[in-house]
Amino acid sequence: MQLTLGHYYHGNSVLHRLDPRIKIIVVVLFMVVIFLLNHPIAIAAFGIFLFVMIAVAKVPLKSILRSVRAVLFIAIFAFIVNILTVDAGVVLWRLGSLTLSTGGLWNGFKLALRLFYLVVTSSLFLTLTTTPIKIADGLEKLLKPLERLRFPAHELAMMMSIALRFVPTLVEETDKIMKAQSSRGANYDTGNIFQKAKGMVSMLVPLFVSSFKRADDLAIAMEARCYQGGTGRTKLHPLILKTSDTLFFIGALVFIGILLTAEYMLPPLVFAGGI
Amino acid sequence: MTNLITVNDVGFSYKSYDSDPVQAIEHVSFEVAAGEYVAILGRNGSGKSTLAKLLNGLELPEYGNVVTAGYDTTDDRMIFEIRRNCGMVFQNPDNQIVGTTVEEDVAFGPENLGVPLPELAERVTSSLTAVGLREKYDTSPSALSGGQKQKLAIAGVLAMRPSCLVLDEATAMLDPVSREELLALVLDLRATQGLTVINITHHMEEVLQADKVLVMDNGHILLTGTPRDIFCNVKEIRRIGLDVPMHTGIVHCLAEGLKQSLIGQEYVECEAAKTVALKLLKEASEDNLLVAAAHLRKNAGRKGYGFDSLEDAATRDVVIEAENLSYIYDGAGITTQALHDISFKVYRGECFGIMGHTGSGKSTLIQHLNGLLRKQKGDLKVLSYDLSRSGDIRTLRRHVGLLFQYPEHQLFAETCREDIAYGPTQLGWSETDVAASVDAAAAIVGLDDAVLNKSPFELSGGQKRRVALAGILSMEPDILILDEPAAGLDPAGRDEIRGYIEKLRAFDITVILVSHNMDELAYLADRILVLNGGRAEICAVPDEIFSRTDILQRCDLSVPRTVGFLQQFIDVLPSLNIYQYDERAAALALVEAMQHNLTAERGTQ
Repeated sequence: MQLTLGHYYHGNSVLHRLDPRIKIIVVVLFMVVIFLLNHPIAIAAFGIFLFVMIAVAKVPLKSILRSVRAVLFIAIFAFIVNILTVDAGVVLWRLGSLTLSTGGLWNGFKLALRLFYLVVTSSLFLTLTTTPIKIADGLEKLLKPLERLRFPAHELAMMMSIALRFVPTLVEETDKIMKAQSSRGANYDTGNIFQKAKGMVSMLVPLFVSSFKRADDLAIAMEARCYQGGTGRTKLHPLILKTSDTLFFIGALVFIGILLTAEYMLPPLVFAGGI
Repeated sequence: MTNLITVNDVGFSYKSYDSDPVQAIEHVSFEVAAGEYVAILGRNGSGKSTLAKLLNGLELPEYGNVVTAGYDTTDDRMIFEIRRNCGMVFQNPDNQIVGTTVEEDVAFGPENLGVPLPELAERVTSSLTAVGLREKYDTSPSALSGGQKQKLAIAGVLAMRPSCLVLDEATAMLDPVSREELLALVLDLRATQGLTVINITHHMEEVLQADKVLVMDNGHILLTGTPRDIFCNVKEIRRIGLDVPMHTGIVHCLAEGLKQSLIGQEYVECEAAKTVALKLLKEASEDNLLVAAAHLRKNAGRKGYGFDSLEDAATRDVVIEAENLSYIYDGAGITTQALHDISFKVYRGECFGIMGHTGSGKSTLIQHLNGLLRKQKGDLKVLSYDLSRSGDIRTLRRHVGLLFQYPEHQLFAETCREDIAYGPTQLGWSETDVAASVDAAAAIVGLDDAVLNKSPFELSGGQKRRVALAGILSMEPDILILDEPAAGLDPAGRDEIRGYIEKLRAFDITVILVSHNMDELAYLADRILVLNGGRAEICAVPDEIFSRTDILQRCDLSVPRTVGFLQQFIDVLPSLNIYQYDERAAALALVEAMQHNLTAERGTQ
């Protein structure tokens, strides 16, 4: 059984090949920028940039929409709350303390858009185009300086990668145990909550027992293969910054610079009610 | 030759905080020369795995010392050099793979040793090439078969450039074909790369090519010698729950029947066994043969479920009827046809064998029989239930017990009694009925009260499996489906399970037995269905199946070892009935064929 975590989309685009460290840093920077942007032109520019990147990554729009769908409800909720509570710009309609104004509309729209930008940015640069193991590698390298403060960067990355390695194994095992217990009359689908919880015990206990056994075995196997923590380890696929990575990083910084300049230099648009 | 490993009067015990220490190894001494193939043979729990861990410092001896590759294993500074030199492959393929891709896993060892690029990449490639997994370098390990996973583990060891490879029951969880392949690979590596091999196992077939065999029992080394020396001690080997090669067993049985001594004779090699057997038969007088036949007849023969012919079978109730059953798996856009138009019938009270390699559709087929998988195409009638209605499936499961491979993994309750009671309780039986069914089931598999009140997690592997079997029997099924019931057990454990299956006959339970093990199926099953690539090749009595060499060849299956050995006597004993499935029956057949020869000779004189 093959399970893809975080919906990695297999490909070999420029975005796929970027160094994960650069991608992580850039995503963090973009996230800050997304919240700094207010000016409609700057916001629109960022949206266009994202569309260009989607095209570059050759990721199907369907997978992008799937990540957007995850925040759709929150976005709609934020939109409605905003348009009904913010009173700015031209008032279009009023009922008691509820107002509908151009400022409120713009504000709600902006908030929803920011949410969409956030998930699209993170999934486009990270989950869709970077394998989880590369994310772990990138994080390990980025957090490396913190090891002086006794922060277990290597151990954290190792844990992540082992967890990823065992996801398919455990999925398979769960399926097997459920089938075995179903053959003994266990019922995981029907019955009240109490019966269901009781049914789960017959699945979870064997699963835990075997996971502990696996952990034990794996520890011994790792020791037998001379594992001694992160010190002195080399890597089969070390992260090396390429010229393209540096160029992308500089490009991203320049883009952020332009966005922020536009944000603060452009005159405010009338319909936004001065917000 | 220099010694690569020297084990000098070593002892080791496991300590736990709440009970007395368990002595695992006592006063063990032996040496392994560079380039040697040493096999360590022993039952589960005989201390052989502990011994393996002592060899590369995963455990340290309580007394005595272990010197590996010139360093004492207690030497902290050299521990990684010792482990690099003495790589290990463990039993469970899944539990020793660290990497998320094949190449990353192979790189794990050398990465830990700080091997720099580009040598690291070169080592990964050459190791993967050596085990034949080079094309799979980018695959996720979970997509590999069990045999491939073990090869991957070997590649991971090779990448550390070891001088010694320790296999700690590395073949125990593999099917016979993968097991043979893995051993062949290891012996090939030994020949081409000069690797020293230490193979810890309870499969005696793997031991025959070893230079030296150590037989362990209860933490001691009981016997040391060449395979020839070791396996001539048939009684001693069997006493400690191990087995000898089939032909050795047959010759031993024959000599016992003819009351001849085999001391000083060699009958471990197949050819030698044949010569000894012929000599025994030719030297015997007609009276000797008569006595031997009577002696062997007492206990010989296949204990089939008791119908002699297919005509007899046809008079019985049909409990399972499948017609043109097909099944297609549809996962992530890839469709696999697991079953193609399978038709067969199972009669009440028989032991119905299902044979085939991994991927032949066995497991898909048996999951249909208790409704875990819904039929897609074709007809399937089990007892009187309609398998397309879900209400019926719940009641059906009470009548059709299904025990998967390694069923001990499904145990979960606090005591064995509660675990066995789980099924009947789920069915809503009254407390007294549940208790009665638990007692009855426990009695069949020989579990007493002391064991029933223990936690299932305290038991040994063989005991756990008996508890799991009882957990199905307590539901008083009419049909019992067993998927590789003896997988991973040592010979004594395997014989035990085989005994319980035979015992079920008295309870009129129809048994469906799925197995890779030809000997086991031939011995137990009344009829066998052979699956190959999702198609039913033949469904017939064992004698007929093993006479169809064309089908066996096409399915890459071999005849049982008894049949294979007896086939070699056909030139000399033309009347020999080679379709015998245990050693006593085989010995008896040899005696009877010899008698027939003598009578025929007298006739011509």
